Amino acid sequence: MSSMDNFPQYASPCSLAYALALESTLRLQSGTLQRIVATLLARGRSNVRDLALHTSLNPKQVRHGLALVIQHNLVFYQTDHETAATTYEANPQASYHLVRIGKILDVIDRKYGIMARNLVNDLLMLGHVEIAELVRYHRLKHGPPKVKINGEQNHNHDHDHDPDDDFDNDNDLENGDLDDSFNDDTHYVNGNGTAHGTADDAMPIQANEVYDTLAQLIAAGVVESVSVTMFQSPQDLKASVEQECMKEFPNGIRGAKVMTEFDTMVKSQIKAIGVERATMKRKLQENALYEPSNIKRRKLANGGMSNGFAGDSGGSILRDEPNMVVRLNLDKCLVELRNQKLTEHAEDFVGETTAQVFAGLLASLCKKVYRCQHDQYTIMTEEEEETYFTGVRVTSEEIFDHLSPGVDVSTGIGAASEEDIDIRFAEKIRKYPPQIQGSHIQGTLDEGDEILGSDDEDYDRSGEHLKGTHVNGHRGSIAQNGTKMGGDYSGESQSSRAEQMRHMRQHLLILTETKQQFVRHCGQNEWTVDFGPLIQQLRYVELDTMIEDNFGRQGLRLTRILREKGKLDDKTLPAMALMRKPDVHVKMAEMEMAGFLEVQEVPRDNNRAANRTMFFWFFDEARTIKRVLDNAYKSMVRCLERLEVERYNKRAILSLADRRDVQGKEEEMLRGDVYNEYLEFIEIEKKLLSQVSRLDDLVSVFQDF
Amino acid sequence: MDDQTALLKTQLYAACEEACSGDPDRLFTQEDLTALDVIPPKDIKKLLQLIQILTNERLFAPVHLHSGLAWRLRPEAEAAKYKQLSSHDQVLVYEIIDAAGAEGAWQQDIKRRLNVQDNALRKALKELEAKRLVAQFTTVENISKKMWIKANIKPSSRATGGPWYTDQFLDEAFIEALQSVVMSFIKNRGSYLSKGERSTRSMSPVLPKKGIINGATSEAAIKSKKRTADAISKDETPSAPAARPRKTIRLPLPAGYMEYPTTEEITAGIQAAEVAKGQPLKQEHVQELIDVLVWDNRVEEIRMGNRVGYRAVRITKQNPSLYSKPGDEDFWEPRSNGLTSVPCGKCPVFDLCEEGGPVWAGGCEYFDQWLT
Repeated sequence: MSSMDNFPQYASPCSLAYALALESTLRLQSGTLQRIVATLLARGRSNVRDLALHTSLNPKQVRHGLALVIQHNLVFYQTDHETAATTYEANPQASYHLVRIGKILDVIDRKYGIMARNLVNDLLMLGHVEIAELVRYHRLKHGPPKVKINGEQNHNHDHDHDPDDDFDNDNDLENGDLDDSFNDDTHYVNGNGTAHGTADDAMPIQANEVYDTLAQLIAAGVVESVSVTMFQSPQDLKASVEQECMKEFPNGIRGAKVMTEFDTMVKSQIKAIGVERATMKRKLQENALYEPSNIKRRKLANGGMSNGFAGDSGGSILRDEPNMVVRLNLDKCLVELRNQKLTEHAEDFVGETTAQVFAGLLASLCKKVYRCQHDQYTIMTEEEEETYFTGVRVTSEEIFDHLSPGVDVSTGIGAASEEDIDIRFAEKIRKYPPQIQGSHIQGTLDEGDEILGSDDEDYDRSGEHLKGTHVNGHRGSIAQNGTKMGGDYSGESQSSRAEQMRHMRQHLLILTETKQQFVRHCGQNEWTVDFGPLIQQLRYVELDTMIEDNFGRQGLRLTRILREKGKLDDKTLPAMALMRKPDVHVKMAEMEMAGFLEVQEVPRDNNRAANRTMFFWFFDEARTIKRVLDNAYKSMVRCLERLEVERYNKRAILSLADRRDVQGKEEEMLRGDVYNEYLEFIEIEKKLLSQVSRLDDLVSVFQDF
Repeated sequence: MDDQTALLKTQLYAACEEACSGDPDRLFTQEDLTALDVIPPKDIKKLLQLIQILTNERLFAPVHLHSGLAWRLRPEAEAAKYKQLSSHDQVLVYEIIDAAGAEGAWQQDIKRRLNVQDNALRKALKELEAKRLVAQFTTVENISKKMWIKANIKPSSRATGGPWYTDQFLDEAFIEALQSVVMSFIKNRGSYLSKGERSTRSMSPVLPKKGIINGATSEAAIKSKKRTADAISKDETPSAPAARPRKTIRLPLPAGYMEYPTTEEITAGIQAAEVAKGQPLKQEHVQELIDVLVWDNRVEEIRMGNRVGYRAVRITKQNPSLYSKPGDEDFWEPRSNGLTSVPCGKCPVFDLCEEGGPVWAGGCEYFDQWLT
């Protein structure tokens, strides 16, 4: 584990943590784990004997290695009840997630605070672990005489003002810095500006605090309790549940009635597993008030610290179960990553403030979003399943509660005179998610929507009330006695809340109006996000970015025409694109070579002469996306390959820098030229790793979100 | 031809002329001609005779339709030109060119249809050209084709390519310039210019170009209100966004904004600005420009009921200034992603690259350049 502390200080948090992940798997175990996982990936399910054969390790080493990789959830196992033979199977998702660890830590840091981040970090280092052990390890490692973890200087947060109340950090961290933190750390905005105290270095970490943070993470679903069923692959799990259920039907399953009976039984069993997994989470959610709204309200309402909850919170519940085993829930982490990515895109398309509002919406929405994608093997509880089929929606109030306090919602939208705004369109309610049609989201506004109820119900009238110059007690909470602007404010905080709410709504409405449909206004004051279509849009955005970068604006134009119109021949295309024919041909050929376009030849007669053949160009979406995804993976591998080569080239220096006495104080210990060369390497490493991470962003968009 | 027939003929022609005064390309079928009330009803023989005469005099041009035969009226001046023709070939060739109208006739096509010798055709065309009855021109669709058209009409816009072509060549500079005009028009009308200084409260708000709002909804009012809200939580949040120096930036307009410019408005704007004086741009041409901008991902369509307006995409990332020279990068920050920044994204030998192969990442010169 020591290698993680010595990681270069200048690496950005992302690349740092990513490197850590690699370190932990690749380096520390001197390749044993890597070999085992790679063999499992290549050969599929195997037993210890086969593994020993193919990895050229002895069975003892294999067993030891397997224990470790199982600990990190990189490998599933399944023991057959009758033969008692155990087979192992790689968990490719979990393995790939190693690349994302840096980002996950970053997101956790931002949302739950530095302590949560450190906890997750420990959890990643330890694999699944008992709570008591985790807390002990955490206090030991991050306790007072600690060496500062690298990269932390960016993120030191003030624990000093109230050491017991670590939830406070939330508020600082949720500010949703939208820039890629690994691109440029300098404008990392987290509410507290630069005034971070580093007092926590001096203060011993309270066990309470750690328990509380952990409880918070479990309640949020980022950390989950481990149950036996998690070591089986979902497919195996389903199969074994089915086998179990089969025993109830000694006569076999024949006929529709028995079949449905069997199916319901399997389903309920699987749901039971889901419920069992979520027990602790539920308990914590019920008992402790982990609603960020509580924290936020304190701040906004009166600025004081009318501490909403007593000390008796999740921490104490966890204390009663020190032997509970926990691990990181990658599904939920992915949701958090997706939120971040979506927020970045909202920032790109609309603007900063709007993106912050969007982040607030996502934060409140995603309390009920447990994973990005699911298939038939996903284990869900009743409640989870419900949210998938009915969708999650939140009210404006909830969003407002999740807004980070630093956001000035009155900015970011231009002014327009009121007669130019048609509230009926602005507040249009869309009850159903959009249908994906080609690359376009068909505005449900065109048809169809008109059928849904009368005109009066078509839009959200509450917006009308809010729109006026005075807020007329619409929420039943504010009685502002008709004062025009500049009048006195009796309940200042109240009115400002209503006012801010009004502004925030404007941002939400803008988001609903975007071509990408970031948000759907799905009911009176209710909002939702249709993740599926939205992510689809983002895929196009990424594709377009790539095409524009590679083939210029005109290339983009041509592909988008084809995407919209379907197949076109070379005659129509130049006229539509307002381009010269030869130029079009050159561009098309270029793009075809690169695999972004396809061409179909249709001969006009039997002798397939080129001049008697029509050429139809088209854009094959699925193929292109697959290809891009493939290229992203390949490029990632190449970056890593290059990194290895660079490492090898600089091995002399690196081995020097790796020495115990040099670690952490390279600048003093190394000779000038050696140090410079070391810095050079660090620079290269940083570049390559951050590239890998950006490529992973692409992979996420195209595959995982 | 007796007097009565001659009279009827003139009457019929005059009636037809009158009937098609609104639409010179109108076709007359047999029913249409009988309905003109010139010929005694049911006297088909007479009608046939008259049509025969008129056709012979080139005042009627027969047209074959799916439903049968019909006739188009030919003005007397045009008909007179046939009298100048001396040979049979000339007549046939001229007939085809005449029928082709503004689209023009392709020389190969004429030859195929008449089934005449090449030199006979060439001779006839030469004679016609000498009489200034036909002229040769080129169409933008296929520059190498020899096209013929009647000398007194201009080639159709399809053949000339409309306003986008100058001398049969696509005028890319013209298009680009117009695009930037359209772009700036859309940008201006569909966004709000926020000047950096405005963030301080004392400043007067920058007034929107359309309709000045006073009182409660004005920027100043919102601002001042906001401050009070901010002041409350100031102790904990040193309001990072406000503290950041603000640049001049374009902001999106509130949802439900009805004044995003439509194609008509943009056309009117271009006409008012008199940027394309020599080439009067019609709405459909402007639509073409806008479509291209949409495909270029510069502009997006926004529907408000029946009104189809356009606005700029990524407005806050746009260059806030309205006028950019052609060729300027119009976006403030181009988008990028993993594959655009890593050398592999543009690598010409991407598919060849593998460990142990002729190209591999470890010894890749693109990586060399990129990493230094």
